[in-house]
Amino acid sequence: MDYLEFARDVVSRAVERGVEAEAYISVGQNTSVNVDRGEVEKLSQAGSKGLGVRVIRDGKMGYSYTSDFGAASIEKTIESAVTLAEVADGDEYRSLPAPQPLLEEELDIYDQAVVDLPIGRKVEMARRIEKAALRFDERVVLTNRCTLMSQYGTVAIANSKGVAGSYDKSFIGGFVMAMAADENDRSVAFGFDFGSRLADFKPTEVGKDAARKAVGMLGGKPVPTQRASVVYSPMAATSVLGALSRSLGADAMQRNRSFLEGKIGEAVAADRVSVLDNGRLPGGIATRPFDDEGVPTAATRLIDEGVLQTALHDHYTATRDGTASSTGNANRRSHAAMPTLDASNFYFQPGQETPEEVIGGVEQGLYVESVMNTASINPISGDYSISAKGYWIENGELSHPVNEVTIALPMQELLHNVKAIGNDLTFVPMMGALGSPTIRVDGVMIGGMTAGDSE
Amino acid sequence: MLPIESIRRVLDAGLTKGADLTEVYLENKESLSLTLDEGRLEKATQGNDIGGGVRVFYGNNAAYAYTDDLTEESLLEAAGVAAAAAENANNAQVCADLTKRESPVMSQIERPFEEMSTQDKASILRQMDEVTRGHSPHIVSVQCGYTETRRRVWVYNSEGVWAEDDRAFIEFQGQVAAQKGEVRQSSATGVGGQVGLEFFDDRDPVAMMPEAADTALLMLDARPAPAGEMPVVITNGWGGVLFHEACGHCMEADFITKGASAYTGLVGEKVGPDFLTAYDDGTIPGRRGTMRFDDEGAPTNRTVLIENGILKEYMWDLTESRRAGRASTGNGRRQSFRDMPMPRMTNTYIDAGPHDPEEIIGSVKKGLYAKKLGGGQVEIGRGDYVFTVTEGWLIEDGKLTAPVRGATLVGNGPETLRLIDMIGTDMSLDPGRGMCGKGQWARVSVGQPTVRVPKLTVGGTE
Repeated sequence: MDYLEFARDVVSRAVERGVEAEAYISVGQNTSVNVDRGEVEKLSQAGSKGLGVRVIRDGKMGYSYTSDFGAASIEKTIESAVTLAEVADGDEYRSLPAPQPLLEEELDIYDQAVVDLPIGRKVEMARRIEKAALRFDERVVLTNRCTLMSQYGTVAIANSKGVAGSYDKSFIGGFVMAMAADENDRSVAFGFDFGSRLADFKPTEVGKDAARKAVGMLGGKPVPTQRASVVYSPMAATSVLGALSRSLGADAMQRNRSFLEGKIGEAVAADRVSVLDNGRLPGGIATRPFDDEGVPTAATRLIDEGVLQTALHDHYTATRDGTASSTGNANRRSHAAMPTLDASNFYFQPGQETPEEVIGGVEQGLYVESVMNTASINPISGDYSISAKGYWIENGELSHPVNEVTIALPMQELLHNVKAIGNDLTFVPMMGALGSPTIRVDGVMIGGMTAGDSE
Repeated sequence: MLPIESIRRVLDAGLTKGADLTEVYLENKESLSLTLDEGRLEKATQGNDIGGGVRVFYGNNAAYAYTDDLTEESLLEAAGVAAAAAENANNAQVCADLTKRESPVMSQIERPFEEMSTQDKASILRQMDEVTRGHSPHIVSVQCGYTETRRRVWVYNSEGVWAEDDRAFIEFQGQVAAQKGEVRQSSATGVGGQVGLEFFDDRDPVAMMPEAADTALLMLDARPAPAGEMPVVITNGWGGVLFHEACGHCMEADFITKGASAYTGLVGEKVGPDFLTAYDDGTIPGRRGTMRFDDEGAPTNRTVLIENGILKEYMWDLTESRRAGRASTGNGRRQSFRDMPMPRMTNTYIDAGPHDPEEIIGSVKKGLYAKKLGGGQVEIGRGDYVFTVTEGWLIEDGKLTAPVRGATLVGNGPETLRLIDMIGTDMSLDPGRGMCGKGQWARVSVGQPTVRVPKLTVGGTE
């Protein structure tokens, strides 16, 4: 089936009802394999498809979706979107984007080797993840949820302004939870790796990574409550980036829901901090030629040497701004959702120091390996308080493991307190893809034991 | 949905390669959502998600294939894909007679969604918006949302199970931001349930908005929360998210049977104070986690998790109960036909205890009262948890003295449960906005009375 042709056809049917219209089609194949002690515990595979229709009339927008591509279902979907647009209120800035030239460049987001990978190889890769975790150390007592996932598919978008495009994308990844135990304690940790291309994915590293973290955290204890330097692993530093990406969305800024509102042109971070969003990063998890409303993706420098330069935009926020252009950041979680503004490959620009040098610069402090509850970080207020696990840093070296502590500092201060940035930029697949090197932040409040009497 | 003869042929197809058990799951989900932002009804979305999956068990393992094309032909193809994984097995099973199960659980919708126009639903959002904006000049942003979902499921398996469920949900959400100078704070609220339009008989989404606005306004002037260990009193109702995160997840059978949970092997052991009893109850009428049958066709139950401080039972799905050679507790849930079921909580709560809620606060010399909580997270293997206090108060000499912002609570679930030293008489369930994520999303309900933990780590900035 030619999905782009199908999308165009849906648009032309909708246009007959006197509306601006957009059709988004996503079609894919998913496999997931779960192994336990070498056996295939769960295996799931299937194809799926979906269509989302967005219509606009007099600035009023309606949206409807279906996974049934039959003619009657398509008619019903269009009709329902048109009816909903009548219920909505008008907004003068609401329209669909006009076509822009798409750049011809190799984005490396589709790998035939992922598509052709036989199920037997996928099972074998899942087993390698588990084996690597169990063999890492005798204190690794079990693994759980040892999973290999692969996906590939096509996205096609057409609208009544003439936007028409499609692309193919592939993904392969794996994760595992390793549990370590000794006579006094137990600890668990996740490992994962992923990529667009088969060659980027290293199953053995997934297992080793989980095992290394789990064993390392055995015997972890809270430290006394204090203000200290914190060194974030790349994984932990993405806790800062997730909330920051939402604060940097033009929708949040225009609607008074960002602590960075009104700060464009101002220094919002230490001058060593630069933040980028690049939807065209070759091989990136969030890379694609155009965004989910058909606007070409771009590389955008949001914070340059500490100074806030611009916000992330989609077509609506750019139109409303009047002088901005869409940065190609419209995103959908699936065909069932209207596009919203999201980061793509969003990251701290790496610096020169090795991670060891960053840690080495701290006399006493906390190295944070992993964090929890990052969804609680508030992009409106900038309030930042999450739980952390890692190691205490003594004289520039990691010493004993630390757990059950919180780290807190308002984002406004945290960005200014960045004291060092490593050269080890690493991406994790969250909210698009967040990437960070090892970073050091000073003056973070660590909540742990009370020194002295607590009652 | 499909003729029962078609289902039988699909079940048989799943058994051809020697599987022990085949299951067919069909689903039809319709939803409507409306979002009002900046006083404008901005987004209106409607859609339908239909599909089915075939799961084939061989020993303790299972293969699954699904399709969004609900025809016998597509389901037979899915059965073939799933059955292929079972090729090593050699015992040919036959499908038992299918008998439709009846359930004692009532979840009848009195008034279907269609009885009210979309325009009228939108006008409730408009009222929510107006009342909030009019509440204070410091309110700078109001977002309101309405979602209705009707999810019908059909489950059949080769051991004769035939169960159907029809679940209807209404949810209203509100988000408010307030600003004074450079300081911004926000607050979120929601109300909902498994219910038709009779929702409006006893619940008022407009009324919840001024309270949410008050929290955001209060937090504008709140001082930063303290950091360190102190006694913490946790509110009733939504405060039950503590038990859900910190302990409930560790009682889900998938982590238990692997030996990967902090509660593995502890049935019959003392895990909390004598006056602590906790349930997971999928049968409470109108609640978000209520089902007649779970997503594997098992009837739901009121499961006693902890009775008088003794751990009694875990929460089981089909996979884990087969592994353990026992019956499911009706906790097998899945996000959609694209997902394989796993053990999940339904409506989970700590029952009423012996203490007067006012006396509980009065008993604390210096500590924190968690009046409103946000979301939380747990690491199941060890039971370490964290959650956010969205409205906190300092307790000084038994009285709430000052609001504090930015507080987080961290601890270890099993340890916190053992530490609980006071449980109030004021048990209540949450207003109906709980969504639990465990790789898949599931609607849940939580509840508890006022609870005191004598020592918890608070993560503030002071």
